[in-house]
Amino acid sequence: MTGLLPLSLNRANKAIALLLLGGKEYIALMHVHKEFDEEHLKKQMLEFVGKINQLPPVRSNVKRQYRERTVYYLDILEVDGRDVLFRVGVESGTYIRKLIHDMGEKIGVGAHMVELRRTKVANLTEDDSLSTLQNLEDAVYFYEKEGDEKPLNKVVQNIEKAVDFLPKVWISDFAVDTVCKGAPVAVPGVVKFNPFKIDEWVLIYTLKGEIVAIGKAAIDSSSLKDIEKGIVIRTDSVIMRPGVYPEYHRAQQ
Amino acid sequence: MGLPYEGIKREVISLRDEATCEDYGVYPDRRNIKQKLDLGFILLDKPSGIRSKTSAFIAKRILSPLNVSKIGYSGTLV
Repeated sequence: MTGLLPLSLNRANKAIALLLLGGKEYIALMHVHKEFDEEHLKKQMLEFVGKINQLPPVRSNVKRQYRERTVYYLDILEVDGRDVLFRVGVESGTYIRKLIHDMGEKIGVGAHMVELRRTKVANLTEDDSLSTLQNLEDAVYFYEKEGDEKPLNKVVQNIEKAVDFLPKVWISDFAVDTVCKGAPVAVPGVVKFNPFKIDEWVLIYTLKGEIVAIGKAAIDSSSLKDIEKGIVIRTDSVIMRPGVYPEYHRAQQ
Repeated sequence: MGLPYEGIKREVISLRDEATCEDYGVYPDRRNIKQKLDLGFILLDKPSGIRSKTSAFIAKRILSPLNVSKIGYSGTLV
């Protein structure tokens, strides 16, 4: 199994779990165990688009009980003998090996997964500076031995790019340091925002576009214009270290 | 037909005009490599034959001379 595996470094680790909110896309190669009618197979496979109930495989890190997952789309790309190549967009936590097994049962002939490649994670695709371990090793070599940071700058990207698909609030310089210490974002701190709903995950950014923290909306953004105080976002995990921006009283001078 | 957040465009609503002080922080696209390593992510093309966890471990070992001590990953590709 190959493909997109987003890795987060040091302080960015606190943000990487947000990628689970986005979906994933795979290209999978399925091998069908017996002769089949192509039209029947296609029809049965497309029946899996929508909500499905899936029992996680024996060898998995989660509790083995049926879980509802969504298959967003499924395109059959090629049928060659008993091999079926398809593209599928799914909710995070959907097991493709299991999906293929279940499809095989539904078709009535049995099937298993031969190959799998992940082609999208949330808003990240194969076009977003995908790097191999070899690229990484070379980039570190050029940086360390030759002082050339260009290759490393290409391999290592800003964490903001990975989580960019979520709504944001941009906060005032004076509010940054308190959020870095775990305080929630209050109304006076908000300068601008993308509309968000209560309980939605929201990214807390500085006006320079740096990620400060992630949190959950305490209110609906539609009420922001009518209130002058109160909590807007409850800070969940802090990414920026305290002290990058001045403490409130100093900023006020 | 697509993934939930694919191609999403979000409106930006301003409550007031306010500038940021250039003395603090750094625009993400102006981060130096050390700052980037501390707040970075790598979109790894996982090789076949090794687990996600192993891939992350190898990446961590490659980056350890540059003070990267923690590496996390999103979603297991067995």
